Amino acid sequence: MSLPPHISAKPAFSTSRLPTYALVGNPNCGKSTLFNALTGLKQKVGNYPGVTVEKKIGTTFSQHGQPITIIDLPGAYSLAARSPDEAVTRDVLLGRRGDTPQPDRILCIVDATNLERNLYLVHQILDLGRPVIVVLNMMDLVAEAGLEIRASRLEQALGVPVIPCEAVAGRGLVELRVAMSRHDLPLSRHAWDVPGPIAPAVADLQASLTLNDGKSPLSARAEALLLLTDLDSLRVAGSTPLSPRTNEILRTWQTRWEGQGTDWSAALVNSRYDAIGRIAADVVVHVGETGPTVSDKIDAVVTHPIWGWLVLGVVMTLLLVSIFTLAEGPMNWIDDRAALLAELVKSAMSAGDLRNLLTDGAVAGVGGVVKFLPQILILFFFIGLLESTGYMARAAFIMDRLMSRVGLNGKSFIPLLSSYACAIPGIMATRTIEDPKDRLVTILVAPLMSCSARLPVYLLMIAALMPGESVSLGAKVGLMLLMYALGTFGAFGFAWLFKRTLLKGTPPLMIMELPPYRLPKVRDVLLQMFERAWIFLRRAGTVILGISIILWFLSAYPKASGHVTPADQLAQSFAGRAGHLLEPVIKPLGFDWQIGIGLISSFAAREVFVSTMGVVFNAESDKENTAPLRTAMLAAKWPDGRALFTPLVCLTLMIFYVFAMQCMSTIAVVKRETNGWKWPIFQTLYMTGTAWILSFIVFQAGRALGF
Amino acid sequence: MSHPNANFLVPLCQLPAGGVGQVRKLSGDAAFCQRVREMGFGESAFVTKVSGNGTILCQVAGTRIALSHDAANNIIVEHIARR
Repeated sequence: MSLPPHISAKPAFSTSRLPTYALVGNPNCGKSTLFNALTGLKQKVGNYPGVTVEKKIGTTFSQHGQPITIIDLPGAYSLAARSPDEAVTRDVLLGRRGDTPQPDRILCIVDATNLERNLYLVHQILDLGRPVIVVLNMMDLVAEAGLEIRASRLEQALGVPVIPCEAVAGRGLVELRVAMSRHDLPLSRHAWDVPGPIAPAVADLQASLTLNDGKSPLSARAEALLLLTDLDSLRVAGSTPLSPRTNEILRTWQTRWEGQGTDWSAALVNSRYDAIGRIAADVVVHVGETGPTVSDKIDAVVTHPIWGWLVLGVVMTLLLVSIFTLAEGPMNWIDDRAALLAELVKSAMSAGDLRNLLTDGAVAGVGGVVKFLPQILILFFFIGLLESTGYMARAAFIMDRLMSRVGLNGKSFIPLLSSYACAIPGIMATRTIEDPKDRLVTILVAPLMSCSARLPVYLLMIAALMPGESVSLGAKVGLMLLMYALGTFGAFGFAWLFKRTLLKGTPPLMIMELPPYRLPKVRDVLLQMFERAWIFLRRAGTVILGISIILWFLSAYPKASGHVTPADQLAQSFAGRAGHLLEPVIKPLGFDWQIGIGLISSFAAREVFVSTMGVVFNAESDKENTAPLRTAMLAAKWPDGRALFTPLVCLTLMIFYVFAMQCMSTIAVVKRETNGWKWPIFQTLYMTGTAWILSFIVFQAGRALGF
Repeated sequence: MSHPNANFLVPLCQLPAGGVGQVRKLSGDAAFCQRVREMGFGESAFVTKVSGNGTILCQVAGTRIALSHDAANNIIVEHIARR
């Protein structure tokens, strides 16, 4: 048997080089808890090149203290991949990825309370011909479920070590470490019968894979079996394609079976389940009838047609309220620190362009993004909490009915909800959506949900629209809610439209597991929160830094001669000229070139509009106190003496901001997540186009009605 | 068979709450059939419907699974018993 190159040279498991392990398992089997328990903080999180799938590598230590590398692969129900995540798992295990060496050994995690379904993946993995250790996780819940698992029988049946364990409590880890440190791990002795009509095809494909694709015979058999069930052969970037000869053999057999009416994939899956059923019957003992479990009792309320909505409503309100209230303190703190840093730079350097670049460009720009970090941290903390307790799947279940009206499924709910805080984490959260079209539609409409960066713009406009303290708070809040509702309906409307036209697909067939409820493990939630926050900071931070510098340059050059006010300088800068250029386009909306400057500069982040208006109208202002700016804005006039900020213009401007894609960071993230410029460009055009058309209708209709 | 409901083939979405059915036929495209089989809905598997009219909730092979209406409509079961 020829070994893959990376383990061939010396005896693979000498004391100096310990094998690399891959960690695989179904979603919700406690895989990340086990990974964290084994590796602690010794983890490296990255990305598989070309795909938006997280690559996690950690180090644990053998019983003698030697380091062992563990690759945590995305959760999968089957090696026949249905999502990019599962495709990566399959490709790494089969050694199809050039960027990740094929792991030497496989650690297969199984939810002991749900052995039969979990054994399906184990069964496929045993075929790979690599040493496997099966970890029976969640042994603590087995008794509660009225079951008894005979681990030794399972070990006998599979012929590989089976380690019972409770990753949450850290039980069984010592035994697992000992097993992982073994130099001689047996290969599985388990044999199962490939259904008669399919067996010759498996032999053919196995031979061709060995001969033409350079696979070892054992893994060639596993891959041959997989090719027959991997129907749409989901390929992701970085995966090595099959040789033409193997492809040809595959097609020939499929054509023959189609002619005979043989359902080869059903036959294969069912015969695997038959083999698993026999094992499970021997291993799992049902210890009498048990009543409804705790999970059943909670589900009776949480998935109830009426109570379920109530619970979801409370959870969502709590989430949004805490994002907006808890984050306020830290956000102001960051704001103050950024201002302090700018002051520090100002006092340390002599006046000049470099100083302005650092303070107005870099510090202000990056500070503007970092400011959103508290909100994002809180959001990720809550999402992590909801995921690890198992509630997230219930929320998606409840929302599925509503989402299916517009052609999306329940899994799109969380990304859209997250987008109320910020579209960036929302778009990053779409990775769990299996169907690529559903995922794309969700990405396209997510930025329509009013994010927190729009809040300062809304506040300023409402203040200008309803000046004086006489206007009731109710009217202001009502107008604000109207803007949120507009964005939300817009998102659903466009999702409906896209699913019917551009991204037409079959109606979404959602199949989603609802895991049993568990107490969350705070350490895992925090770890995940910091990981995601770091990704946000790195990605958005670098882009924003670049954009901020460009925008600063545009507003600072060319220099006005002589002694001029900042407003004059801005007026004759590139940005000011662009504002003038833009005026004909936005005049039908009631906006002049000064508002145009605001629209251009707020491309960095929407709330920059407020500070730009401050510069344009020469008014010192901040978010808590918009009164001076409000007064200055209300005094602004068109050259012919008409007031610029009429109530109608303020309303139009708010509507424009609801729909317009005024966010470079979102564009950058969409480019990354969709692997190209096509979709972010389309998204920008459709959103800003809609914003223009709606603003035009509102302004012109309002004027016709005499406002 | 004496049971009044025996041999009645219904889509999973029409099974009454609490009803137990045995999967007889899967319709829909090949990728869908493949996935539900792998999730435990293979022919001859027993499914208990927990609740739901639109999106349904059911129990199969010890796991609780939510299925959208269209997905449940593609799983044809024989109504076995009422628990």
